Amino acid sequence: MKSPIFSFIITILVWDLAPAQEKNGKENTNQENNSSRYEAVVRIENSSLNPDYRNPWNTGRDSGGNGTGWLVGENKFLTNAHVVSNSRIIYIKKVGDAKPYRAKIVHIAHDCDLAMLELEDPSAFEGVKPFDIGKLPQLDTTVKVIGYPIGGERISITSGVVSRIDFLSYSHTSVDLHLTIQIDAAINPGNSGGPVIQNGKVVGVAFQGYSGNIAQNTGYMIPTPVIRRFLKDVEDGNYDHYVDLSMSDFPLLNPAQRKALGLANDGIGIMVAAAEEDGSAGGILKTGDVLLAIDGRSVKSNGLINYEGEDVNMNEIVERKFAGDVIKLKIWRENKSIDTKVTLKRFLPYLIAAKKYDEKPRYIMFSGLVFQPLDRNLMAAHGMKNLQVRYHFDSYVSADIYKDRPEVIVLTSILPDSINSYFSDFKHSIVDEVNGVKVKTLKDVHNALAKDEGDYIIISLLGSGRPIVIERAKVQAAQKRIQEKYNVINDHYLGD
Amino acid sequence: MTKFFILLFASSASVLHYSEELEAASVDKSVIRVNTTMQSYNLIQPWEKGASSTRIGLGAVLPQGKVLVTAQMVTDATYIELEKPDTAAKTTAQVITVDYEANLALLKPINGNDFLSDRVPFELDTNLSPKDKVEAWQFEANGTPVTTQITVSKAEVRQSFIDTARFLQIQANGPVQYRSGSFTLPLAKNNKLAGLLISYSSKDQISNILPASIIEHFLKDAEDGNYTGFPNLGIMYSQTLDEQFRNYLKLDQKDGGVFVSKVVEGASAAAASIKSGDVILSINGKEIDSRGNYIDPVWGKLSFSHLVRGKAFTGDSMKIKILREGQKKDVDLRLIRRPVEDYLIDPYMFDRGPKFSIIGGIVFQELSVPFLKLFGNDWKSRAPIKMLMAHANPEMYEKEGRRKLVILTRTIPTPATLGYERLSTLIVTKINGVHINDIQDVDKAAGMATNGQHRIEFESYPKLIFLDAVLAERVNAALEKRIGITKRLN
Repeated sequence: MKSPIFSFIITILVWDLAPAQEKNGKENTNQENNSSRYEAVVRIENSSLNPDYRNPWNTGRDSGGNGTGWLVGENKFLTNAHVVSNSRIIYIKKVGDAKPYRAKIVHIAHDCDLAMLELEDPSAFEGVKPFDIGKLPQLDTTVKVIGYPIGGERISITSGVVSRIDFLSYSHTSVDLHLTIQIDAAINPGNSGGPVIQNGKVVGVAFQGYSGNIAQNTGYMIPTPVIRRFLKDVEDGNYDHYVDLSMSDFPLLNPAQRKALGLANDGIGIMVAAAEEDGSAGGILKTGDVLLAIDGRSVKSNGLINYEGEDVNMNEIVERKFAGDVIKLKIWRENKSIDTKVTLKRFLPYLIAAKKYDEKPRYIMFSGLVFQPLDRNLMAAHGMKNLQVRYHFDSYVSADIYKDRPEVIVLTSILPDSINSYFSDFKHSIVDEVNGVKVKTLKDVHNALAKDEGDYIIISLLGSGRPIVIERAKVQAAQKRIQEKYNVINDHYLGD
Repeated sequence: MTKFFILLFASSASVLHYSEELEAASVDKSVIRVNTTMQSYNLIQPWEKGASSTRIGLGAVLPQGKVLVTAQMVTDATYIELEKPDTAAKTTAQVITVDYEANLALLKPINGNDFLSDRVPFELDTNLSPKDKVEAWQFEANGTPVTTQITVSKAEVRQSFIDTARFLQIQANGPVQYRSGSFTLPLAKNNKLAGLLISYSSKDQISNILPASIIEHFLKDAEDGNYTGFPNLGIMYSQTLDEQFRNYLKLDQKDGGVFVSKVVEGASAAAASIKSGDVILSINGKEIDSRGNYIDPVWGKLSFSHLVRGKAFTGDSMKIKILREGQKKDVDLRLIRRPVEDYLIDPYMFDRGPKFSIIGGIVFQELSVPFLKLFGNDWKSRAPIKMLMAHANPEMYEKEGRRKLVILTRTIPTPATLGYERLSTLIVTKINGVHINDIQDVDKAAGMATNGQHRIEFESYPKLIFLDAVLAERVNAALEKRIGITKRLN
């Protein structure tokens, strides 16, 4: 019953703030590790610049945090994307070495919360042996977590067992679901990005957990299939993201439903509720189809398949594929079995609900009115309650809004000035048209406003019969006045 | 009490000779206790009623053996009793006319008029004005009358206890003591009924009064026994204070006017071909300012909606001056009342059970505002967003020919609904191929299963489910035994 946009919002504490100092740990007490093992586990300090969606012309707010990383190859350090998100400067610190080494991001994959860093000068790590990557650990086997969490200065090691293997939401973007392993070793802020070790090999990257107020001893790590996929994806020098079938499915547990669809009562097959027209399966799958098998593996009526001896979510097949890969589907339609193929690709409209990083907010400030494209960051920054805005955000994919309006442009705020003194009721409205031109992107707004035609600029808003009317003759002076008064250095940023 | 006498003197010479007791005694016989037991339907399990509660208030005795109370006193009433404060004599009463929007109801004893023959009916005094002193009537438990004097301050068009209805209300200042049985209090001025006190805030000592002018309108309408209700224009409007907007509309400096931002299909304005984009300048010669107020001779600035709701009747004609594309134009408008039954989503639901139909454990209902309100005080942010959109923009569905929005409200776990237990609050589009435009369609479609299967389609996830028709029928029969009924279509 996987719905592509996962609405299961949980309070997940993201570990990324911990003071710790780089000194030698108690390396000789651990049987699996020695001091050279610890040398491959580094402390990562990130100074970040977080974009200001409320005042998008400002540079943003400085902050910082630290996490853990580990050597995965020659001058290649792996950590979590959230440890180095919105980054300005990154330093790596080595066990037993007080000197911070400047590092930069080579690849960052927000959708699976992984990033690869390299040092400007790798000489300090010459001779340090990178970690090998292990297999998916079994339930109830012991693992060790190494890192620089809060609670002390030195490197920290905790251990626990593998408690659960599941397909869960990654809180970094909150829309992506991947294979996840739950462990009961203590994981605390600062552990993020650190290796989880079994038999001397990395079997996971510690990345998120529940706040202790909700559940105890519940830490999560990114398992090796996800790590390997990331490493393989970036082999060509680019990260190409996960792909998606872009469909929603409904379990076939009701005998009448099975009978109506012409299926035997054998527990095989899951119904297609909807396939996004512009997604991978668009035009191939439709409502009422039954998915019988994916890449030759039977899909059970609860959406699970058997993979390497385990029952896993059928999306595990898609998870390990790359853009352009083809998967085989066996579907059941009108009492016939059909074999078909789907070429996998990303489905960008899902991203409206994703937390985004490393992006400069786009906006237009015109006569004190600030226009911005709708996404999750914008919703969070402005706390918008407007019904139209909530509907467009919530139903962007399910009501096919993305087809009509690839970007939903919201009048997010108003910088008070005499030119807009009666406009406050229009705050948080969606722009429908500017001077009769339907608005589909932020650029449309920019182009329509730039056109010097007519005495008035008419901005119509969704759900409001009363348009915003601005006298063109007043605009130039007002724009100058407002930019000066409110220190709006650039009155627009439309993206690179 | 000195002040009170001065007031009486000023307004009517004849009452000068009344003693205070006599004066009190006469109104004493015009006010009667009303005890109601009320029980509303359970909207989640629409086949049953919720817990009952009681309300005690005071009604105003009117000529012809009628008693006036607020509608709120008698909504969902299962039993109404009139009680004389002095003798404690009781009789059973029934509602003869009710207007939930205006918040007024007329009662009559079930067994003839004899019960009220020793009472003195109120006359109405519709000439309330600022600084008037009025008396709120209450009774001690032993029947002794208690009066409190409050002073009228201002009038305002305000929302009544129904969200969508706005009526003239009068504010008065002064402390009113809390007494049990004070749900509604008649207010007297010179022994005449000046209004009903509908709410009181002890913090700032402000009372809200439903004035006699609205009561008079209600009584006139009810006179012939065929009640139509208050008319409405059926528009949404915005102010025209903004200079740039006024220039764009070509509005004269000296004119006011309100901008029509939406016209409701099937209401008065639409019938008179008033369009969104028009500016309404005046109604029956009364100029409307750019905030949407006209100057009332007594109350000063009042929302122009009072000219429609408070002053005119359904069927009346009005002369409306509009500005359309820069040209002034006179429009003759005949006031109609869009029946509340025609709303896609019922704004309120009293004295009747919610319409529903069950197929095999799946409960279908027509969406209503009371249902949305089950999501709590902040229902406008907590109710399902698609339903809130339908509530705000009913034309989205009305243009598809929907009379009502039928939703799957919940699923009772039964052998027929295996796997569907978690389905709830889904907008239903089709059942067995039939477009579902109201609950009757559900009942009709329920008899049209093909190949022994009911095919049910929704607007959103999971889009499509099937039920075994034979099993569903068996489940319905079992449910009927357990819960009494499996449908209510009217």
